[in-house]
Amino acid sequence: MPLSQDPQWYKDALIYQVHVRSFQDSSGDGIGDFLGLAQKLDYLQDLGINTLWLMPFFPSPLRDDGYDISDYRSVHPSYGTLDDFKGFLEAAHARGIRVVIEMVLNHTSDQHAWFQQSRSSRDNPRRDWYVWSDTDTRYQGTRIIFLDTELSNWAWDPVSKQYYWHRFFSHQPDLNYDNPAVREEMWEVMRFWLRMGVDGFRLDAVPYLIEREGTNCENLAETHAVLKDYRARLDREFPGKMFLAEANQWPEDLGPYFSLGDEFHMAFHFPLMPRMFMGLKLEDRKPITEILQRTPGIPPTCQWCLFLRNHDELTLEMVTDMERDYMYDEYARDPSMRLNLGIRRRLAPLLDNDRRRIELMNGMLMSLPGTPIIYYGDEIGMGDNVNLGDRNGVRTPMQWDGGWNGGFSLADPEKLFSPLMLNPVYGYQAVNVASQKRFEHSLLSWMKRLLAVRKSSPVFGRGSIEFLYPANHRVLAYVRKLGKETMLAVNNLSDSAQAVELDLRAYKGNILIEMFGRNIFPRIGDLPYLLTMGPYQFYWFRLRRV
Amino acid sequence: MAEESILTDDFLHELMNVGEVDLIVGVPTYNDAATIGQIVQAVRAGLVKYFPRQRAVILNADGGSQDNTQELVRAASINDLQPAANPHALRTLHSISARYGGGPTSGRGLYAILGAADLLHCSACAVISADSTNIEPEWIAHLLQPVQEDFDLVTPVYHRHKFDGLLVRNLVYPMTRALYAKQVREPYPSEFAFSGRLATHLFGQEGWVEEAEQDGAKLYLTISAITSGFKLAQALLGSKTRAQNNPPADVVDALREGVGPLFFSLDHYPAWRSNVSSEPVPVLGGQPEVTLEPLRINRKRLYDLFRSGVDELSPLLNSIVSQATLQELQLLASRAEQDFCYCDELWVKTVYEFAASYHRAVLNRDHIIQALAPLYRGRAYTFLAENRDSQGEEVERNVEALCLTFEKFKPYLGDLWDGRR
Amino acid sequence: MWDKFVVELSQATQEIVRSVAQFLPRLLVTLITVVIGGLAAWIIEVICRSILRLVKFDRFSDDAGASQFLRRTALPSSTELLSRFVFWVAWIGFILVGVNVLGIVGLEPHISKLVAYLPRLVAAVCLIFFGLLAASFFSRAALLAAVNAGSPSPKLISSTVRILITVLSVSMAFEELGLAEQTVLIAFGLIFGALLFGLALAFGLGGQELAKRFLEARFAHPTQREHEDELSPL
Repeated sequence: MPLSQDPQWYKDALIYQVHVRSFQDSSGDGIGDFLGLAQKLDYLQDLGINTLWLMPFFPSPLRDDGYDISDYRSVHPSYGTLDDFKGFLEAAHARGIRVVIEMVLNHTSDQHAWFQQSRSSRDNPRRDWYVWSDTDTRYQGTRIIFLDTELSNWAWDPVSKQYYWHRFFSHQPDLNYDNPAVREEMWEVMRFWLRMGVDGFRLDAVPYLIEREGTNCENLAETHAVLKDYRARLDREFPGKMFLAEANQWPEDLGPYFSLGDEFHMAFHFPLMPRMFMGLKLEDRKPITEILQRTPGIPPTCQWCLFLRNHDELTLEMVTDMERDYMYDEYARDPSMRLNLGIRRRLAPLLDNDRRRIELMNGMLMSLPGTPIIYYGDEIGMGDNVNLGDRNGVRTPMQWDGGWNGGFSLADPEKLFSPLMLNPVYGYQAVNVASQKRFEHSLLSWMKRLLAVRKSSPVFGRGSIEFLYPANHRVLAYVRKLGKETMLAVNNLSDSAQAVELDLRAYKGNILIEMFGRNIFPRIGDLPYLLTMGPYQFYWFRLRRV
Repeated sequence: MAEESILTDDFLHELMNVGEVDLIVGVPTYNDAATIGQIVQAVRAGLVKYFPRQRAVILNADGGSQDNTQELVRAASINDLQPAANPHALRTLHSISARYGGGPTSGRGLYAILGAADLLHCSACAVISADSTNIEPEWIAHLLQPVQEDFDLVTPVYHRHKFDGLLVRNLVYPMTRALYAKQVREPYPSEFAFSGRLATHLFGQEGWVEEAEQDGAKLYLTISAITSGFKLAQALLGSKTRAQNNPPADVVDALREGVGPLFFSLDHYPAWRSNVSSEPVPVLGGQPEVTLEPLRINRKRLYDLFRSGVDELSPLLNSIVSQATLQELQLLASRAEQDFCYCDELWVKTVYEFAASYHRAVLNRDHIIQALAPLYRGRAYTFLAENRDSQGEEVERNVEALCLTFEKFKPYLGDLWDGRR
Repeated sequence: MWDKFVVELSQATQEIVRSVAQFLPRLLVTLITVVIGGLAAWIIEVICRSILRLVKFDRFSDDAGASQFLRRTALPSSTELLSRFVFWVAWIGFILVGVNVLGIVGLEPHISKLVAYLPRLVAAVCLIFFGLLAASFFSRAALLAAVNAGSPSPKLISSTVRILITVLSVSMAFEELGLAEQTVLIAFGLIFGALLFGLALAFGLGGQELAKRFLEARFAHPTQREHEDELSPL
């Protein structure tokens, strides 16, 4: 299946986020690898996704799950070789699946050769590649991101007897983007992968590239200049490739990352995600509609990226204190689930393994405006293990079947990079791909149908959104439009049956066709359109004038 | 049935859109545009501050206002349709306004709110009067929190001037306390709260529909709660004032509103016949103070009205009170002002005899109430004179003494009732 | 000549006997009607009395003040009075019917007039009764209102109201009965007019000061008004 040549392919993308290490082990060493991942491409194609986002697979001491990179132009030996990667890439493209990889621009591992050289002495030519200081008082007022482990953004280097700047872990020193050599080198790194055929980058931690005194060192104009420069080069040399921004900011502050369509193609909509969970618990659509009302318009070539969960904690940075307390009390009663102003749980455990709620949340994910991302394992409802420390509880091996190591690896279970889920509810014997494939009513089968319906119309990925505000605040309803295509999504956020009257007079004369069963619903007239909905139910209607 | 006609279709439709809630704050209105805006804002602030996570609704039961009372209430909604105007709140807060059926009476408004409390399965419901302009957001907390903690009816207590609310102090409170054996200081609360249990109990009762049509519905609610064994508490709110542009209440209207229903209740709630002494009702949030600022009151006029009243109405009073009481009243009327003292015992007997005559309807009942007015004025005069220089505790002691006298003479009322005297 | 006299006498006697013979059955019927009528009227009276007792008519008329009036004039209670009145009306009705049967020419139109008169009599009695009721009620209401407002002469006001309403209802009753209509009308007009004129004069002259102060307060400058009573009873 050829890849679509549309330069805005990312607007129709259905992204699957996966970590090579956790997906499939072909070598028997207990760690997933690219050969294994390539073996599972058929499964992914069958699921219906068309884009893969790979977590970092570069050589790394793995003190931050691969985000501490020690060599940008290679593959970590546990995951295979560069050739393995190339093979996998070709196989993916052959199935019409694009591949987006991580590019950690902001910092490297302290084991990276560059840092080893930089710290060796103050006169080293690469000294300037990182941000050094005699005192730890520069850039006061800059917030600490990993609150649970770091006390300062400066770390003392005993070798060169100076402080170095790190916005993340102390073993991840920040690169100095004021240095043109750094900028050029990082472009060369990106070019290396682009030439190999990679379709785009998720640029990690982009707000923090540049520091300036007297600011909060985030989102500075100089940072944007760097990014715009990279985009310009990308468009010149590699048209049709994509930049995705990881910037955990309020929606109105994300505007500069899209700029006039000359910076990022896509950015994550971080503030929406906790509000979807909040709306579900409150049984009130207000948090969701309000954040989307606050979301500014973006250039026509740009796109939001939506997600329910990912490899990190469910971040509660972009909510008020009252909202955070509420989320903690409702979703993370056990303090061990809380980390860094977030909640480290997977989708199914967060939703009490309630199939209806899981379906509703996925339904909203697929129908709200943006490109959706499915985190690996959430399509079968995998569980999490909070006892694994940091955020590793949501990064356990993929569960393929009920057999040896859940089908993930032939190695001894004790050798696995992470223990499998074992409890009777979420363990690999209860939750796995093989058993779910056999039944039409499984979550996996349902997800496949959902993705198929989503792909049946471009209105989901490219259409506008207009909210309806029915008097019943427990129902979230909106209309998506693209050209002549109009689609109505109605979601019942509550645990009980609801009646809702929708004001559809603007669409009078249309009949509603429910998109899953393709059954006809009554024509829209002058009176409010009455719908009755079961608990956590959602409808997708296509509007058609006949 | 009257029940259907009070909860109109429109009302039910509004309730349907709100769905189940944890808390309701009801405000019955009729042409109250002048004050309703500020009241609803205070209620909203209270709900957002003290109950941010709970599902709540501000429900305005309107009797058919011609001014824009209803629009002012709706404007206080917190929802996603008007995000810019909102204070930051976790949830949607509905602020709805609907008309109840029939003409505008406070009884029907209250009944509509009870109905809403039952249908929406709330755990606690507060009712705020439309002229409580000095309401604070804290009042919502003081009223609703005790209900959520297991009380069924929370009536208010206020910091009051020692000469404020004389009718309540001299008649309504002592008599209600003596009859129904609970020391509820404000049997006619303008702000109060009740539990969903009590709402369901009252709303389901057949007799309540007729009572709702009367004006003394709040009193009947209090008495119903007492006689049905629900748990009562009193919450200290603050100072009580009325809306500035309402003139001071006419005594006769106050008697009609306050005493008429009380007398009427004796026929409906036979529980008053039991002879138990009254129990205190817990006061939460502190003790009410009696404020003492000096006040100009025309006492002489009260004295004059008493005298002329007794004089002119003697033939009438002859049918209402006993011979002995009438003679004492006439004797009292003949005294000079400095010797005038309408003592507790005589007052209690007067009131009880009036109650008994009301029961037998020796005259038109409204006329009986009106005939009480000059006598009440005389009593008010005595109260003012006795407490002119008193401090708060002394005033309270005097009121307590009066209450005990009411309780002591309760058998006398029983005798009158049965015709033994 | 004696024979002719005897023949004439016997003829006259025969005629008289014939008339009497014609009259006697009618008289008998009349007497029977009267007796039956009396019985029926008595039954009606009893029924009426029971009904009145059941609806506690006495209390009602107590309220109206009619009882006091009756007691003062040493008449029996209203129930009794009304029942007896009904009895008499019913019996007279039957008597009239009976008399009609007698066929006494010349009496008939008078009898029909009397029969036609009865309903008006009833109406007039009702008017007076309800008039007394209203007078009593409103005069008491006026008395109470005046006393509570601190008016100088509440008894006067109360009596005035009572007289006005009583006079009105008595006049209406007389008009209904058609007795001295013109006289009554004029007299009523004079009394009523005089009373009202007197009141207007009294209020107009006496209330000058008050009106002046009222207008001043409204339109010139609002003066501090003393609170007349306690702050707020509730």
